[in-house]
Amino acid sequence: MKEFRKSRWILGLLALVLIGVVAACSSNDESEEEEATDSSETSGEGGISGDLEIQYFVGGYGDTWWKEVIADFKEKYPDVNVIEHAGPNINEEMRSRWVSNDPPDVVYIDGAGSSETQMVEDGQLMNLTEWVEGIELDNGDKLIDSFIVNPGKFDGDIYSLPLVFDTWGTWYDRALFEEKGYEVPTDFNSFMSSMTEIKDKEGIDPFVTSGQHPYYFLRGMLYPAFGAAGGDELLADLITGKEGAWTSDVVLETMKKVEKMQQEGMFDQGLGALNHTQSQMNFLLHENAFIPVGFWLPNEMKNDIPDGFEFGFIPSPMQDAGEPFAIVPDLRPLAIAENAENPKAAKAFVEFVFTRDYAMSFSEHTGAIMNLTEVDLTQSDKIPSYLTEANEMINDTEQVQIYEKPHPMSADLETPIGNALMSLMLGNMTAEEFVQEAEKAAETYRNSN
Amino acid sequence: MVQSKKQKYTFLAFCLVPTFIMFAVFTLYPLFSGLYYSFFDWSGASQDKEFIGLANYITLIKDAIIPNTIIHDYFLVITKVIGIMILAMFFAVALTQLKIKEAPFYRIVFFFPNIMSVVVIGILWTFIYNPNLGLVNSGLEFLGLENWARPWLGDENWALPSLVLPSIWAGIGLFMLMLMGGIANVSKSYYEAAEIDGANQWQQFWKVTLPLVWPQIKISVLYIVITTLNGSFIIVQVMTGGGPNNSTHVMGSYLYQQAFVQYNFGYGATIGVMILILSLLTVLILQFLLRRDKVEY
Repeated sequence: MKEFRKSRWILGLLALVLIGVVAACSSNDESEEEEATDSSETSGEGGISGDLEIQYFVGGYGDTWWKEVIADFKEKYPDVNVIEHAGPNINEEMRSRWVSNDPPDVVYIDGAGSSETQMVEDGQLMNLTEWVEGIELDNGDKLIDSFIVNPGKFDGDIYSLPLVFDTWGTWYDRALFEEKGYEVPTDFNSFMSSMTEIKDKEGIDPFVTSGQHPYYFLRGMLYPAFGAAGGDELLADLITGKEGAWTSDVVLETMKKVEKMQQEGMFDQGLGALNHTQSQMNFLLHENAFIPVGFWLPNEMKNDIPDGFEFGFIPSPMQDAGEPFAIVPDLRPLAIAENAENPKAAKAFVEFVFTRDYAMSFSEHTGAIMNLTEVDLTQSDKIPSYLTEANEMINDTEQVQIYEKPHPMSADLETPIGNALMSLMLGNMTAEEFVQEAEKAAETYRNSN
Repeated sequence: MVQSKKQKYTFLAFCLVPTFIMFAVFTLYPLFSGLYYSFFDWSGASQDKEFIGLANYITLIKDAIIPNTIIHDYFLVITKVIGIMILAMFFAVALTQLKIKEAPFYRIVFFFPNIMSVVVIGILWTFIYNPNLGLVNSGLEFLGLENWARPWLGDENWALPSLVLPSIWAGIGLFMLMLMGGIANVSKSYYEAAEIDGANQWQQFWKVTLPLVWPQIKISVLYIVITTLNGSFIIVQVMTGGGPNNSTHVMGSYLYQQAFVQYNFGYGATIGVMILILSLLTVLILQFLLRRDKVEY
């Protein structure tokens, strides 16, 4: 009997420990929820108070601008307790929160592991269509009329506001080009002749991109090429995978240009295995002369820039002679979660961020452009020259045409197309085979949606 | 003191129940939830899930990339088993039988890659394979074999074979130690007897060493196969990301791409089920092939 009691006692203890473990796991969420409801009940100035959770990706642009904006926001709304979730892997780290329907209030959608398209398809973002109409800038301009590029629309509705205006283009070392007298390309023909000259004189493969991310070439070189050749309509057809778009003549002609670059040995031979940083490093070390990436390049690589290196930026020169350059902006939006716990504060923050002053300071901090018009970048001497020049070029419609894509391409379409593209760039596929592969991928994509 | 039955069972429960609970939570639950999610269309990033029955399995059968990932996986399995076993056996015999003075030093050197993270090994070998600065191409140029130099990891045909070398290099040490342990347990008298009978080193290896360390060899082969099927994903992810043009994707890396890059979590889970089934089948077949009566002299 004594033993029996003893064993029951041990089993009871075991059960207790287990219950303790389980309870400890679940109690976290409860206390968090309680805190949130508690704090939102105590109303502060202007009725905006409580916790405000902001998720932002920290990549090439750094986080100094965010720190400044959030500090200012806290000053204006002292009752709001801002909780920052930030870092280079934040999209992965926050995924479980989104899955369990406990998202942060405000999210800046950028970087690996984030997809605006996916978030909208999953119904995770708040519909901002009506609310955005009422937002005004300091001088009374309506925000919706002051974007450089308008918000992307999904079936006519707006779910995010484009914050960062990035654009992919082609970078070169201006100092090297001036010293050796190389020609800065103005169209595809001059691009080819410039690369031929560099290949001969420098003994290098002139063009590099990250082969581990084939979409760099797709977004950096092909989107502008398609824009120049077929305008917004063609871009939209290709991104939505419309039947026959990828096998159309204009696309084949463009892909012939890529084939030509490959056949004449313009691509870095090892690019197939290069990752993001390696490809950018190759470019800085003069292993190559051209690289298509976004405005993040100088800021991200600032510790590795060799002496005398001077960044030069042109829109990717894939267009035929006599045509203006083409640019397809790549926007990094700010959005509010559909299930935000503190939507009032979230809206206040989003409204707070979109000012021309912050646009100016964004360019100073990051070397990139915020998506607002009439920001005079020449006013500040902290802004690098490539940016003021690029900004000027972008605003000059004779030199540069801006083409807009309806929304980013879905990863389900971008991945197979990128793979085929890599094969083409390595010389294992012809342009004709590529367009067939791409059309096949588009068909699969259409059928799966 | 004689233990009562109750005491005995209490003690057994005390030992087994926590382990079983851990096993259930961390192995059985993920296993079955993986199976469960494979019947859903789910992005893996939200709460919305739609039950679609066997649709993911139909996609799996129709997916043209899947057969290639399976072939790549088994290519790695076969080359790794052959490469690691031959080299590990060679070094183990050399370090135990040949009476080399520096044996302890070599033991440490060969074991060294095993204490390094696979990620570090992957990054290290990415530099070794670098087409411009890497050791491999510079070495070939030094030897006057410039024609052989190529962008190893960036070439659709050469990328996968290039992954074999670091995998073998990283694997030798552990299995060498295992085999050395086996060889050390073989009584010296067998070798003496063999020598008296006039057997040379080579014959001693085939007739004495190999049969007596067979259990260790069997375990090593099984272990290499299982870890490769489940873990080759890491080296692929670090060194090539599955590219160029899917030429190095193994089942695991393709699963990762589908589930976390293309947001097809349900389909990723389906690939996971396939990996489980293939691993089980492979191990069963291997058990059958490697069965061999225990040898005693």
